[in-house]
Amino acid sequence: MSDFEPRIVGFLCNWCSYAGADAAGSARKTYPPNVRVIRVMCTGRIDPQFVIKAFQAGADGVMILGCHPGDCHYKEGNYKALRRFHLLRKMLTQFGIEEERFRLDWVSASEADKFVETISDMVQKVKALGPLKREIAA
Amino acid sequence: MKVRVGVYICSCGTNISENIDIDQLAQFSSSLENVGYVKRNNLLCSEDGKNFLAEDIIKEKPDRVVIVACTPKEHEKTFRNVLQRAGLNPYLFQMVNIREQVAWVTDDKNKATEKAKSYIRAAVKRVTLHEPLEKKEIDCNTDVLVIGAGPAGMEAAHMLAKAGRKVYLVEKNSFIGGRVARYEDVFPKMECASCMLEPKMDEILHDENIELLLNSEVQEVLGFLGNFVVRINKKAGFVDKEKCIGCGACYEHCPVNVKNEFDYNLSDRKAIYVPYTGALPNVPVIDQNKCIRFEGRSEIANEALEAGLITKEEFDRFKHHDCQLCKQACMFDAINYEDTDEIIERNVGGIITATGFELFDPSVLPQYGYGKIPEVYNSLEIERILAQTGPTAGKLLMKNGKEPESVAIIHCIGSRDKDYKDYCSSVCCLYALKFAHMIEKHSPEVKVYDIYADWCVPGKDNQAFLDSIKEWKNFEFIHTTLPMNVVSKIKDDKIDLHCIDISEKKRKVSADMVVLCPAMIPGKDTAKLSELLMISQGREGFFAEGHTKLAPVSTNIEGVFIAGCAQGPKDIQNSVAQGAAAAGQALSILVPGRKLELDVMTAEIDEKVCAECMICVGLCPYKAIVIDKEKKVAVVNTVLCKGCGTCVAACPSGSAKSRHFTAEQIFAEIEEVLK
Repeated sequence: MSDFEPRIVGFLCNWCSYAGADAAGSARKTYPPNVRVIRVMCTGRIDPQFVIKAFQAGADGVMILGCHPGDCHYKEGNYKALRRFHLLRKMLTQFGIEEERFRLDWVSASEADKFVETISDMVQKVKALGPLKREIAA
Repeated sequence: MKVRVGVYICSCGTNISENIDIDQLAQFSSSLENVGYVKRNNLLCSEDGKNFLAEDIIKEKPDRVVIVACTPKEHEKTFRNVLQRAGLNPYLFQMVNIREQVAWVTDDKNKATEKAKSYIRAAVKRVTLHEPLEKKEIDCNTDVLVIGAGPAGMEAAHMLAKAGRKVYLVEKNSFIGGRVARYEDVFPKMECASCMLEPKMDEILHDENIELLLNSEVQEVLGFLGNFVVRINKKAGFVDKEKCIGCGACYEHCPVNVKNEFDYNLSDRKAIYVPYTGALPNVPVIDQNKCIRFEGRSEIANEALEAGLITKEEFDRFKHHDCQLCKQACMFDAINYEDTDEIIERNVGGIITATGFELFDPSVLPQYGYGKIPEVYNSLEIERILAQTGPTAGKLLMKNGKEPESVAIIHCIGSRDKDYKDYCSSVCCLYALKFAHMIEKHSPEVKVYDIYADWCVPGKDNQAFLDSIKEWKNFEFIHTTLPMNVVSKIKDDKIDLHCIDISEKKRKVSADMVVLCPAMIPGKDTAKLSELLMISQGREGFFAEGHTKLAPVSTNIEGVFIAGCAQGPKDIQNSVAQGAAAAGQALSILVPGRKLELDVMTAEIDEKVCAECMICVGLCPYKAIVIDKEKKVAVVNTVLCKGCGTCVAACPSGSAKSRHFTAEQIFAEIEEVLK
């Protein structure tokens, strides 16, 4: 299992976390290449179906990264994302998707280090869990 | 319909090519469905690069463009402009960030190349689903409504009027100047407040671009940036301002005596009155609730009856008394008893609200004795006592008419305390020093104690202001641990103040008068106005600014600005600065002859699918969604929508759509990055 490379989708808000990811790049901080970033204007845009779609389409993990509470460019989109996250995670665990495979974190535009740590930690945790089992018992 | 996608790969000098195999990317891109051609460039964002791109798009005529380069946060706008120049809709374009998020952060060149490929695949698929978005423009009204005629509101109105804008200045009182009209002097230069204010007030009163609506309150606000409709309730004043010359004959003859709220009930006024000598405009109003012609007759008669001043018979006569004394006294026929309240409607493009502050009520903290011990005052009451237009004509006198031997000033009443107001109001230390300086000047024999916990005197003039009071021999600082620990007790006609000083010693001082410096809190209309204007209030109830540092006079509603103490406690100069800033904001977005350009990446709702569940209405942070009651569907106002997409994520019927971030586009991206 040590050569397992998980595939992870990261939904990043345009204003804080996507900028934080760019900041990590500008600072030439390297991190595992497993996360595929999808930019949305706000984490409030993230429809729970996006997350489900990612798991269906082959993701071993999904992350949502947004502005810190109180910093949302659209006032409160991150709070809405947080509420949806908790409900959705509850539902995903009922489908047998481990909690660690779905994660929400706050990364500001200046937190390059936190971005790198969050990505690295997620990759490591999902690596330890192994590939997401998609077959449904008949 | 098959679309033809043009892919442009930028090497960014060697920034990208050093860590990603560009040949492989080009080859991979050519193999993708819908890709018509792949071109490479060494630096697309350079002038040469942009010219190449524009010319190539004109030559190749692609339906869609994918640019594989750096972060869209840096150059998405650059390339959108190039597309526009080349005649292609700028939204038929997707950028792939293989510099900041791939080349610069990946150790292994093969892995970086693979990651870049998956992003290109996703972008090519996504861009085929893009729709051309057209910029929309609407006409805008450039007139501005300013609410509150204190220093902030006056400054805003004055600036806007100077720029040629029509301004509607709404003030709930019968006079302008706000709280500052009550002050004798202002810190730190001990300047005469009315001398400072009057020239500005004069300009406001005589500016043809300013329609001053006194005794008025905003009742309803409809619409949005550039197109607000405002309904204002203008209360009857019963005095024709065109005829009145301000001679004062009317109030001299008025038989009614009531407490004057302007002086915080420390003086009396008539039912027809100007609140203080020198009030501008100098036009009296009749207080309907006190005048014996109006509702006031039952109130006054009842009071007189209860106090045994009149008999039941007199009461009946009094109640129906057709008093016309003021009208008879007026030589200019300025009094009109038939005047009625009026609803005035005005169209404006922007709104500035500068509705000021109140003081925290010190009677909530019984240890200070406010409201129980007659000689305990709050700071605004002392402002009036020290003012020449006030109840004692500026003499420091107690209610018994005698001058006090000693005065104690206590700072931080209800301030900096998590159980009450946890913030510092930033002006109390300075006005406490102002009181001390005023007492030193007019009553130098009076002893002044200043009971404080910390000094807050930032700014270029204020430390010197604090230091200068130390030279006065009758001034004594008492440094306590907490002003909350001060207890006032009456003893032998004196007020004994017990406190613990900084060295933890018990202290007692005896004073004849006590002045409390309470926290500044939002004006009492703040909540009502925030509802009318749909703007947010912060934790302490002040209007919430768009951004603490970068947008201090903006709000969550476009075209609505805040200024002065309604936004948070501050001194006069900062209130004026905010008034000017708010006016500047309004001037920069509302320009005569210029249309308002609307955001294109907004939400839209498919009225054929919408079931009027209203979920989106409550979620929208900009109140941009309303219900069309006839069609029974939700409608997005694209002027207000900022395109966050939270309504779209929540729409259970899928009728809401985020332009440029549609579910189909994002699903395509998800599928392709995972292939």
